[in-house]
Amino acid sequence: MTPPGGCWLVADAGLALHGWSMATVAVVAASCGLVGSLLVVRRMSLLGDAIAHAVLPGIVVGVLVGGRLGGPLVFAGAVAAALLTVWLTRTLHAAVGLAEDAGAGVVFTTLFAAGVVLVTLVAARVDLDPECVLFGVLELAAFDLVSVAGIAVPRAFLSAAAVLAAVAVLLGATWRWQVFTAFDPAAARAAGLPVTTVTTLLLTAVAAATVTGFEAVGAVLVVAMLVVPAATAELLVHRMHQVAAVAVGVAVAAGCLGWLAAWAANTSAAGMIAVVLGAIYAAAVVFAPTDGLVARAARAASLAWRVAREDWLARIWRAEEAAGQAAAGAGGVPRPRPRSVLERAAAAWLRLTGRVSDRRGTVRLSAAGAREAETVVRSHRLWEAWLGRHAELPIDHLHPPAEWVEHHLGAAMRERIESEMAAGEVDPHGREIPPEMPSPGGGPPSGSSR
Amino acid sequence: MIGPATLAAMVVPVGVPVGVLVVLAAYTPVAGLSYNTLVVLAGVAAVGFAAGLTGTLAVLRKRPLAGDAAAHATLLGVGGMFLATGRRDLPTLLAGALVAAVAALLVLVFLRRFTRTRDDAATAIVIGVSFGAGLAVVAGITARGLPGSGGLAQFLLGHTAALTARDAVVLTAASLAAVALLAAGFKEAVMVAFDADFARAAGWPVGLIDAAVVTLVAVMVVVGLPAAGAVLVTALVVIPPVAARQWTDRVGTMFLLAGTIGLAAAVAGVAASTLRPGLATGPLVVLSAAAICAVSVVFAPRRGWLGRRWREATLAGRWARGRLLEECLALADGGGGAFDSRLVRDRAGGDTAAARRRLRRAWDGLVWQAAVQPAAGGLWMLSSAGLAEARERHRRIAAWRAVLDAGLEGARDRFSLDLPPPDDPPATGAQSGSAPAAFPAGGGGP
Repeated sequence: MTPPGGCWLVADAGLALHGWSMATVAVVAASCGLVGSLLVVRRMSLLGDAIAHAVLPGIVVGVLVGGRLGGPLVFAGAVAAALLTVWLTRTLHAAVGLAEDAGAGVVFTTLFAAGVVLVTLVAARVDLDPECVLFGVLELAAFDLVSVAGIAVPRAFLSAAAVLAAVAVLLGATWRWQVFTAFDPAAARAAGLPVTTVTTLLLTAVAAATVTGFEAVGAVLVVAMLVVPAATAELLVHRMHQVAAVAVGVAVAAGCLGWLAAWAANTSAAGMIAVVLGAIYAAAVVFAPTDGLVARAARAASLAWRVAREDWLARIWRAEEAAGQAAAGAGGVPRPRPRSVLERAAAAWLRLTGRVSDRRGTVRLSAAGAREAETVVRSHRLWEAWLGRHAELPIDHLHPPAEWVEHHLGAAMRERIESEMAAGEVDPHGREIPPEMPSPGGGPPSGSSR
Repeated sequence: MIGPATLAAMVVPVGVPVGVLVVLAAYTPVAGLSYNTLVVLAGVAAVGFAAGLTGTLAVLRKRPLAGDAAAHATLLGVGGMFLATGRRDLPTLLAGALVAAVAALLVLVFLRRFTRTRDDAATAIVIGVSFGAGLAVVAGITARGLPGSGGLAQFLLGHTAALTARDAVVLTAASLAAVALLAAGFKEAVMVAFDADFARAAGWPVGLIDAAVVTLVAVMVVVGLPAAGAVLVTALVVIPPVAARQWTDRVGTMFLLAGTIGLAAAVAGVAASTLRPGLATGPLVVLSAAAICAVSVVFAPRRGWLGRRWREATLAGRWARGRLLEECLALADGGGGAFDSRLVRDRAGGDTAAARRRLRRAWDGLVWQAAVQPAAGGLWMLSSAGLAEARERHRRIAAWRAVLDAGLEGARDRFSLDLPPPDDPPATGAQSGSAPAAFPAGGGGP
């Protein structure tokens, strides 16, 4: 069944043809990215998968009736098949209570299988190959030219551009409704929006984008074009219109890069586009500014580092407080034992930056170190006092939460808690609460809002 | 939960036909089929059976499409394995496919756990990207014309004609192993599928059991590749359980039924693909399964569409009849009076055209059964049978109103209802007439 070259490979054609092919991919990718962003936000990604498979019989029937690939009949057939998929899935759900994903699994495999059998049966009469359906005919698109104002333009480019324009206008005109429906369909219905119409409109747009995508990258890989750019955009930005814009950008970039990579490696363009999309998504998973693995790990690490520093300072401060005058006489207190590698590193860092002086196992806080430590201890004791007053916890339950909160209590919160307390009040353990330190410049280390 | 008998019931449907076919085929070519064809048919039957069983678990666990992600990744595994080893015998390639399938499922778990990407999008991403990567690898291999690379594309849509008898034996063995594995962990897997929270609370390693189930699905997807191909093998796992679910509410029956449906679909598909050269097996297997599924969805007695419609219609008919009798009784002044049939229907209600139609049909039924009789002046009256039915209905409605109004205790005394005795005997007499806490609806009533 494998054509040695056939529709799989990048034809070794002139640069102009490559340019047109890339332009076609870019336009197709743009419409897929646009509708995909709404699809993903609405948690209908698998419906995109189902539609991408299920349009096959519609396309075959369209080709059978219309006599050639491309053209309004094929388009109509594909859209009809897509809507049939959705309708059948929902009917199975309503009629016999089948879960929607299982129903989609049944419907799209069946329709796709029917399409493949149909293709095989009529293969002699129609120029359509099941593998071209799976992998797209992008490589050949550049050879099917029509003349527009004297310039030879690929037919696929024209239809893709038309679909992009239609999809953009359709979704642009109903954008606010689309977003409202996507995020809260119940509220949208209650607000009087025609939710069913809005959804049907979106599904029609998905079907249209899928059909053009089918011509470019094949039925299965349309899934990647619909879902991956939108999922990538969701990791990078958090506003709906930004998600749509980034998704379109990612899709177009992946389309062009994938095409070039396929040309260089002499392999399937559709496959390479999907690979590039996957690579972009993986990069976003790792490096996204707020949601990426690196950013999250860095946030966690920086918090752990700050906690370790503050804990070390506070431990020395408490030791000095306990030793009282003796500490001043001995020139410090004995160095506490670090409880973790991180705390050991924090101790070294604090010594290096001059907040703690360490002379042969005897440590002492410098003025700056004492200021930072007092803020932490103050937060700790204020929180214990507040808990003791409001939470009705036994006294031996006050320390653990305070040990955690001391790193997160801001100056404003400390002030509010103190305003509840009588002058000179001590914490529940009977220890003095240090006064608020003036914060020169950057503010106290635990005064951040994080 | 699963005894030797159940185990036998699971293995026998595969083992016996396979054994019989192999023995028969070894000595006498049956019905013009060659030994090879018979062995392949038996192997595919075993695959279909095992896929149906395994898929039931996936569908019950509400992860019907996890297999789809694994399935699409197999192409990458097949291509990569060929590239790495240069061999194209089935066990080698399927081993590559299995590695890729498990890797895809691991990626899926990773994406679910560590990114903001939602489940459905993660599945779609794995499907699209892994399939694209596989496509790029296979197309690259084909373009370079590496020796022996011609058959890789058969994994796309399934092509049983290329299977040898040895391949079929491998597939059968793998299927039987999967069935045996399923039988061994049946109780645990079903428990987690039905109530994962309870299983977790009872101290079971739910994550481990889930992982085992998913791995089993991945194995089945890989084993099903030669029969159905990467794009459609998910149908082998999803469609038979969906069809089986329509016929039964028992887990064990559902498993066996799904296995049998999978077996039948696989055999029918393979048989059909031999009818015409160039027909891929996968689509035909899927269409066979889909036909069985369609019949099940429409005709299954209890859950099927027809059955549901029938029950709905019956219920609606009983409602209409009851409403008519009620109005007849009211208009007949408690028994002997005559009334106008149109007035009865108007008062019985029916806000929609369908409801009015139903009322008209119910009226025809009453006339036909002589529950109402013609009276003088074109009017109607209740017959003795109709009167008895109407009074009984009236009594029941009144009793139910009393239950809602005064609670079970009060209703029991007034209507001598056939109720179980109350849990707390001393309270019976004292609290008669007051509303128990179980019926707050009428408690604050007038």
